Amino acid sequence: MSSVITATNRKEKAALLEMCSVRLGKTLFGVPITHILEIVGGARPQPVPLAPSYVGGLVHYRGDVLTTVSLRHLLDLPPRDGPQDILVLESSGGCFGLLVDSVGEVLTVSSADYEPNPSILDDRRRALFAGAYKLKDTLLVMLDPDRLDPIRLDSMRAVPAQAA
Amino acid sequence: MALDELTREFLIESQEGLDRMERCLTELEERPEDAGLIGDIFRSVHTIKGTTGFLGFKRLEKLAHAGENLLGMLREGKLTADGPITTGLLQLMDGLRSILKTIETDDNEGDAGDAELIGRLEELQAPARAQVKNARVRAGAVQARAVADSLGNSHGPAEENASEARVPAEAPVADAGHLVAVNAAEHAAEPAVPAKAEPDKAQAEAEPGKARAQSAGTAAESTLRVDVTLLNRMMNLVGELVLTRNQVLQATAHDPSLTLLTRRLDMVTADLRESVMRARMQPVSNIFSKMPRIVRDLSQSLGRKVRLQMEGQETELDKSLLEAIKDPLTHAVRNSLDHGIEPPDVRQAAGKDPEGTLRLRAVQEGSHVVIEVSDDGAGIAVEKVRQKAVERGLITADKAANLVERELLQLVFLPGFSTAAAVTNVSGRGVGMDVVKTNVEKIGGKVELESRPGKGTTMRMRIPLTLAIIPALIVHSVEQSFALPQGALSELVHVPPEQAVASIEWMEGAPLYRLRGKLLPLVFLDRLLMPEGVHKGSTEKDSFIAVLNADGRQFGLVVDGLADPEEIVVKPLSAVLKNIGLYSGATVLGNADLALILDPGAIALRAGVTMSSEEKTERGADAEDEAEAAKGMEYLLVEVAGRQAAVPLADVLRIEQLKVSRIEYIGYRPVLNFEGQLLPIEDSGAVLAAVEGNPDAQIIVVVCREGARQVGIAVSHVLDVAAGGELFEAGTSARAGGVTLLKNRVTGVVDLGGVPPLPVDEGAPVEWNQMTVEMAEAAR
Repeated sequence: MSSVITATNRKEKAALLEMCSVRLGKTLFGVPITHILEIVGGARPQPVPLAPSYVGGLVHYRGDVLTTVSLRHLLDLPPRDGPQDILVLESSGGCFGLLVDSVGEVLTVSSADYEPNPSILDDRRRALFAGAYKLKDTLLVMLDPDRLDPIRLDSMRAVPAQAA
Repeated sequence: MALDELTREFLIESQEGLDRMERCLTELEERPEDAGLIGDIFRSVHTIKGTTGFLGFKRLEKLAHAGENLLGMLREGKLTADGPITTGLLQLMDGLRSILKTIETDDNEGDAGDAELIGRLEELQAPARAQVKNARVRAGAVQARAVADSLGNSHGPAEENASEARVPAEAPVADAGHLVAVNAAEHAAEPAVPAKAEPDKAQAEAEPGKARAQSAGTAAESTLRVDVTLLNRMMNLVGELVLTRNQVLQATAHDPSLTLLTRRLDMVTADLRESVMRARMQPVSNIFSKMPRIVRDLSQSLGRKVRLQMEGQETELDKSLLEAIKDPLTHAVRNSLDHGIEPPDVRQAAGKDPEGTLRLRAVQEGSHVVIEVSDDGAGIAVEKVRQKAVERGLITADKAANLVERELLQLVFLPGFSTAAAVTNVSGRGVGMDVVKTNVEKIGGKVELESRPGKGTTMRMRIPLTLAIIPALIVHSVEQSFALPQGALSELVHVPPEQAVASIEWMEGAPLYRLRGKLLPLVFLDRLLMPEGVHKGSTEKDSFIAVLNADGRQFGLVVDGLADPEEIVVKPLSAVLKNIGLYSGATVLGNADLALILDPGAIALRAGVTMSSEEKTERGADAEDEAEAAKGMEYLLVEVAGRQAAVPLADVLRIEQLKVSRIEYIGYRPVLNFEGQLLPIEDSGAVLAAVEGNPDAQIIVVVCREGARQVGIAVSHVLDVAAGGELFEAGTSARAGGVTLLKNRVTGVVDLGGVPPLPVDEGAPVEWNQMTVEMAEAAR
């Protein structure tokens, strides 16, 4: 499950990478800008009844209908009213939208500051996060588009259900 | 494998030539003497041969040459196109096709040998022996002359002779009977007429060739090859335009100054959409034309005698859909031949024509194209289906015992189902009908199967004309909009809150609605979509029942509200949402909202609506009722001063809403100046009196035909159109007059004949203004 983020890090020492930052709750998250197709602001996704709970709804994006994933829901945060920003991400399975409260600035990080997921992180978060970059005063928790792809989330959800 | 432009063009042209050849070949079987067909085939092969020589494809040239020789003999009438020859020519076509394919993929013609095929083609020329023998004396003379000509005068007009020269050259060898020698001799003979044969043949070709070139020329000027991806892109863009148009229409609905512009935009968009769709349309004959060959080959290998009939080949269908039904259609044809049509002896024993008939029919029905594959074979033995399905573990014995015939036929579509006793190379592996069904359903179509034992089977594929844009009704539920495809919708019923309790009945938790006396299972969309949510009772709000028909199941979907029907552009959903199983896609509405497209079949399945046997018999009876009713009268149900009344629908010309001030009076008789004619108004319900003193009040006049004249009936409201039932007086069979049973209520029928005629003025031509009316009154 090597992600682009970590692979780049291992090959090239101290490369500079650009990450789009997203604040949600107390945590600062980062998404590599190379994976972001577009940022759509002020969207009100259309809910889909009976959809898996992590699906944030549908939005109209460039003539297509885009499925969004709610980051709030993935992190067990209460849903938020009002418009949200959407990061349109490209993963191996196609395009999807990541619903976040609001998109922050683009941060430049050095690959030397990368640390993989700590072992004490719970299983679910470990599956979602792709390590973190140590910034001066905080941590930038990396989100890997491939891990957030609704299809993968669906299979993740299905496995424990079968085991139980 | 970059092909140069020339080669690519050659490939396309050759493919078209071979397609034409295939069509001609199948026709040739029926009319082996048709010189025109042979000429066509000859030209196809000749063109390929000519161009290959130029492009340097030696293998292709050699094979084409061998075929051309055989075709040449056919064309000159030295051979008749019998079975083996047609088979040979079909093999030649396949051979050419496979080489073309190799060129397309590898940019060279490959090095597989065609010696066997060439040998066979030469072998087929041998029967010429007999004919040649008879003509030997003449041929000898011709040969002499031809040789003399070729030696003497290379520009001579001896085309006839020279083209015949080839035949005598073979003649002596044919006598010897050595097939291989024919070839050798031919080659040996060739140098004898070297200078002559080729140019002559080219010249002989020139005449028909010229004619063809002319017709091809005009065709080339009016048509253009377009890349399919470009067409797809155009279709997508038109889809976007339709969306934008819908939004513009909604946004400008209240601005009268834009009405003209938006109407124009609406029209142009609709036209553009249709044109782009038309550009993607191709006649069904494109896939039908492959069928004669399949039928021919299969009937030979299966020992069947089959006559193939094709109808509606000109019916057009979207290219991508046409591609998608190619396999299902082939499967269906194979099935008909293998399982349907019996071997000739069995047919004869059953008193049928030993030659079976397979019918392919395409017809457009509204927004669908129906493709039918029917045979007059043995039909499907439903008992065998039941038994096999249980045997193969596709269904439990208990369940199977309860299925009715129509449901049993549906089992045929289950994956893994096959009734064939032995697996043949044609069918029997149990991957036939489920492929047909899934492929057709994938493109939004439906498959129906009808079978009568001993009489035959009909498979009907209903294919939508286009995938991308469908008419849909927008409904509201759980505070969201959803799109319901119009195709599945049969009617809408409005249930006002005060009637909800009375009209929605519950049978142990199952909601039902009495639709014209029949129980309709209901599915509440809000409860289905939000099983845990708190739902307002239907007594607190208006509800609407959309009566849906999905895969033969009828049910009512209860929604909170209805919006306008819209033409929606179907957008695919991501896999995760598709897996929910209730939605077939999503769309963007005119108000820029997104709406999920509901899949009626999936809803029925989810809610457990099935076709129980009881329901089915009831449905059957109901259908008869409806058919009966249709034979009877249809009535326009109107309300006149609080009472319901019926007007025979056949007599209704139009319904006019107008200001009460337009009603004028001749004495006490109300009349209406209606399109320059005077219409007596029947106002038995005192509708006019009710609005007296208010000249701006609107009234409704139903204009009816009564014999040769027209009368108007003033009514308060127009309610509905319904089929009337006859009423009989108890104990007698005398039909009660003046009343009818409408929606289970005894309703009076307005007696149009009872409207007294207007006074007739025999004087001067009447001018219809107040003056004349007064005069007429005075005259009276």
